[in-house]
Amino acid sequence: MLTVEHISKRYGPVQALRDVSIDVRPHEVVGLIGENGAGKSTLMRILAGTVQPDQGVIRVNGTAVTLRDSRHAKACGIAMVFQEQSLLLNMTVAENLHLTQEGEFTRMGLLQKRRMNAAARAHLSRVGLDVDPRTQVGELTFAARQMVELAKALALEERTTAPLTIFLDEPTSVLETRDIGILFDRMRSLKSRASFIFVSHRLDEVLQISDRVYVMKDGAVVAERPADAVTVSELHEMMVGQELHAGYYREDRQGLPQEGEPALEARGLTVRGVFQGVDFALRRGEVLGVAGVIGSGREELMRTLFGFLPQTAGTLTVNGRDLVLRSPTEAVAAGIGYIPRERRLEGLVMDLSVAVNMTLANLDVAMSRNIIDRTRERAIAKDWIERLHIRTPNANQVCRNLSGGNQQKIVLARWMTAKSRILILDHPTRGLDVGAKGEVYDLIRALSEDGASIILTSDTLEETIGLCHTILVMRDGSITGRFDAPAGAKPSQVALLEQMV
Amino acid sequence: MANAGIDRMSPGLLFDRVRPYTPVLLLILLLLGIGIAQPDFLRPKDLSVILSDAAVLFELAAGMTFVIMLGGIDLSVQAGASFASMVVAELLPSVGYLAFPITILIGLVAGLSSGFVHVRLRIPSFIATLATGGIMTGLSLLMEAGQSVSLQQAGRYQCVWITGNLILGIPNVIPIACVVALGGLFLQRYTRFGRFSAAIGAGEPAARAAGISVARYKIMAFGLSGACAAFGGVLLAAKLGSGSPDLANQLLLPTIAAVVVGGTAITGGIGNIGLTVVGTLIVSIVRIGMTFLGVDIFAQQIVFGTALVFAVFVTIDRSKIAIIK
Amino acid sequence: MDARVSVVETTKEIAGTEARASARSSFLKKRLGRFAPLLVLGALCLLLGLLNPSFFSLRNLIWGVANQAAIPLILSMGATFIIIMGSIDLSIEGVLCVGAMIVALLCTNDANSHHFGWWGPLLALLACTALGLLNGLVHVGLRIPSFMATLGLWFVGLGIGTVILGGTAVRVLDPHIRGIAFTRILDVPMAVWIAIAAFLLALLIERCTRFGRYVFAIGGGEDIAKLSGVPVARTRILAFTLAGFFTGIASLLASAQLGQANTTIADGRLFMTITAVVVGGTALTGGYGSVVNSLVGTLTVVVLANGMVLLGISPYVHETVQGLMIIAAVALSVRRGAQLVIK
Repeated sequence: MLTVEHISKRYGPVQALRDVSIDVRPHEVVGLIGENGAGKSTLMRILAGTVQPDQGVIRVNGTAVTLRDSRHAKACGIAMVFQEQSLLLNMTVAENLHLTQEGEFTRMGLLQKRRMNAAARAHLSRVGLDVDPRTQVGELTFAARQMVELAKALALEERTTAPLTIFLDEPTSVLETRDIGILFDRMRSLKSRASFIFVSHRLDEVLQISDRVYVMKDGAVVAERPADAVTVSELHEMMVGQELHAGYYREDRQGLPQEGEPALEARGLTVRGVFQGVDFALRRGEVLGVAGVIGSGREELMRTLFGFLPQTAGTLTVNGRDLVLRSPTEAVAAGIGYIPRERRLEGLVMDLSVAVNMTLANLDVAMSRNIIDRTRERAIAKDWIERLHIRTPNANQVCRNLSGGNQQKIVLARWMTAKSRILILDHPTRGLDVGAKGEVYDLIRALSEDGASIILTSDTLEETIGLCHTILVMRDGSITGRFDAPAGAKPSQVALLEQMV
Repeated sequence: MANAGIDRMSPGLLFDRVRPYTPVLLLILLLLGIGIAQPDFLRPKDLSVILSDAAVLFELAAGMTFVIMLGGIDLSVQAGASFASMVVAELLPSVGYLAFPITILIGLVAGLSSGFVHVRLRIPSFIATLATGGIMTGLSLLMEAGQSVSLQQAGRYQCVWITGNLILGIPNVIPIACVVALGGLFLQRYTRFGRFSAAIGAGEPAARAAGISVARYKIMAFGLSGACAAFGGVLLAAKLGSGSPDLANQLLLPTIAAVVVGGTAITGGIGNIGLTVVGTLIVSIVRIGMTFLGVDIFAQQIVFGTALVFAVFVTIDRSKIAIIK
Repeated sequence: MDARVSVVETTKEIAGTEARASARSSFLKKRLGRFAPLLVLGALCLLLGLLNPSFFSLRNLIWGVANQAAIPLILSMGATFIIIMGSIDLSIEGVLCVGAMIVALLCTNDANSHHFGWWGPLLALLACTALGLLNGLVHVGLRIPSFMATLGLWFVGLGIGTVILGGTAVRVLDPHIRGIAFTRILDVPMAVWIAIAAFLLALLIERCTRFGRYVFAIGGGEDIAKLSGVPVARTRILAFTLAGFFTGIASLLASAQLGQANTTIADGRLFMTITAVVVGGTALTGGYGSVVNSLVGTLTVVVLANGMVLLGISPYVHETVQGLMIIAAVALSVRRGAQLVIK
């Protein structure tokens, strides 16, 4: 009933989707899996009507359609259920359900609340949610909001003659286990009215609910399997592709961490409601990986270690001193550096020059007698540009004009200028091409040979395993596994995955 | 992303190259135009009128520049200047020359409080400063029950360093403004404060993630704006010979206009004191020019209000604000 | 385009992560917070009544409070919608000045020989509505933040008003228009009835129209609203137009009450309006609030002013107190951690 045929989409140099074909049959749940950057979200945006494909056809019931915008996509029977983001928290459940459809409930220009609420109640009962439609959405639990989203998607049924396909984007990442069960029950009972496309990181859940599973990698569909004829580990292998040779992650350069006092130690580190009881010790020269799905608390742990989200309990010992990092300023003063996930937003001040960005965390090196010495600043920048092979015309170049890999090196140069010996690398290779990734791997090895301590999270397990000495696995805010990953004896991805989900 | 990049490149590139120079070009064109239409206007005597008018405005605009560079706005400068004029007029008879530093110090403290209210209480700057400006207006009204205070003979004498013409008959306010401009330039180019302000304005999340104490520098910028406004108020009081609770009320709009017309974007990051010098000159020339042509002082507000909106329209960096509220 | 979207998403993601932890236990506080403005108003009245029993005299309540609250209430009606959208209208004083000028110059007055009677107020209403529309068009069309767009029109309006008035006061001699200030129905001045009507109109718009829903939707999350198909640009322009309309009504009352139009007729109105809306509990961040809150807020501000007069406190303190009230009210209503960057 809904088919996507040979869709391609390119963003500048990046091929986001390559000849993707998917079909959704009536009364079916289709699973869609793939790592970050595999093209799932681009596909979702195309089906939502907010992005237009470069090539290919979308068919609804056999007829080719061009989804002009989100309104049109809805008219074609394609509904989106985002994690929770499409609900307005300041408005009531009924108002959210009928947003932009108020015309049905107006008489002489005035809204008839009673009818709106009654209709909303009917929609809610369909997904088995028992809340007053006059409740503000902000007062509902995450699980209930998810159900409201689902009800909103189902409400389309009355407004279109096309068969309904509901696209669920990571619906379980914010839910507790019990609520996931309820969601799946509802989906099963609603299969008679609609088909679903189910996107999730949790492969076990995908297998549990789906009839068929599509696997995406690097913008293409690499496999399509019936759910009852495939296992989690098979899916995972298809998702990440074949094993790369050991040299890719410079394993030959992986040394041994130094013995002695750890550079950073966490005992019972807790942020209430986010993660709890996190223990680890980071030695000098060590690369420590943290693995976990979205919502496992690892992203927040990274931000706690750099002072964005101070701990509510537990101790953090940095170079022998117990600290609560209340701001990034304090983290930098304690000798910690941070390479953020979002380079464009938090990594660099894009409209300032390379030199200025390099000295941002430690302007003292460029000051003489309390005055900025621009000549000295440029000399420092030039030195780093040469040492890290940063490709830029000169040190005064505005960072926005440089490539992602070079920008990432500038961030690293900043922390080297600041003499940070503990580095938090939050997805350091996100958005980089293969060559630039290799250069980042080289730098990570060079840093740890030099005795710097590194904590790393990454989009792929493969990268985490390849780069790290030790790997912590987090689930639901706690550490569920610890793996040693010495060169030549790396743990398998499946072993990690078992602890993750 | 790629599409937007390309779009911005082709026609934007030329415009982006020219854009930084448009204020200067505008200034030159204005001078040329006036020179042709009214050669008298460019006589040293008239020029010095323009420059001394610009000088007072510049004190306010200089402080405002730092705040706007950070992406905020200070709607309390006119209230701060009026307040300072009252304070200095009240203090001069009793403490003499000490009145000047004390007044500027009070302005600094007032500005720091605005900054504190904005940053620590997390109130948008235009509301925070509207409120602190209201408080200052209230205080200046309270001082003499809404009346103005004359400087008296002795006070006027103590203000000669402002009102006199020490060098070559040039009014002293002009060299004073030059000193302020150079000081601002120094702050901006050679100090931590200047560097970090630019970084915060151009990318606050990145600046924060680099360990810069965003709150501290923001509060400092508001403090500086408060001090500059107070200094402007002192100059104004000296020039007019009295302090009054609504002395500088007409100056808020020209102040913001001077900063924005110079090319500093209200979205922050882009801009500097040099641009504000140019912007102030443009505003002052237009102002004096209009008075010269007999345009009512209030009608000038129509011109400035329109010019302000237009200048904001041209300079604003929309990629920085996804949702325009 | 896409880069921009991703930046926004990330900001939200990051802010969300950090807010989630702190936003949990606020349920009780929210419930209590809803009635806090009313409690403040009640406590204030009680306190004033104790300090000076004449506060509760019918005469004071009608003339000292209700009559004084009429104009601020009407102004705050328009401002409420704009603030719920997360925007701001700084042009109130400019628009009001233009309106008052038109009313005074077109009715029987001492500056010219016009006596167009009710055509004056009608034209003033139209002009103010048009200026509001202009605000909206400049803000939405040129994509300029509302505080800048309306700041421009504030001074343009003041300029127009003062130029035409020529810096002098024009006295309103039309008995019907003056009558708005004096005529009483059921012992209550006409102005109060007009304000009540304006309030009911605003309440109807807020609660029972699509436009009202969309204003809340935009304030709650403009990106989500846009994705859901809410006509954001149209709603924004309409909200500013509506604010202009309410300012127009206020300008009629102002010229009638004062008996003249002069250049300072609008002084302090903006400040009072924003204080009233904010003290009432409408959040500057948008999405939450109501014209009912603004009614409570207006009464609080007016009662406080009235009380200060009754207690013999200098009227010059009033502006200072209002400034402090804005700061306190906004600081208390800001949801901490909800926003990453505040400008």
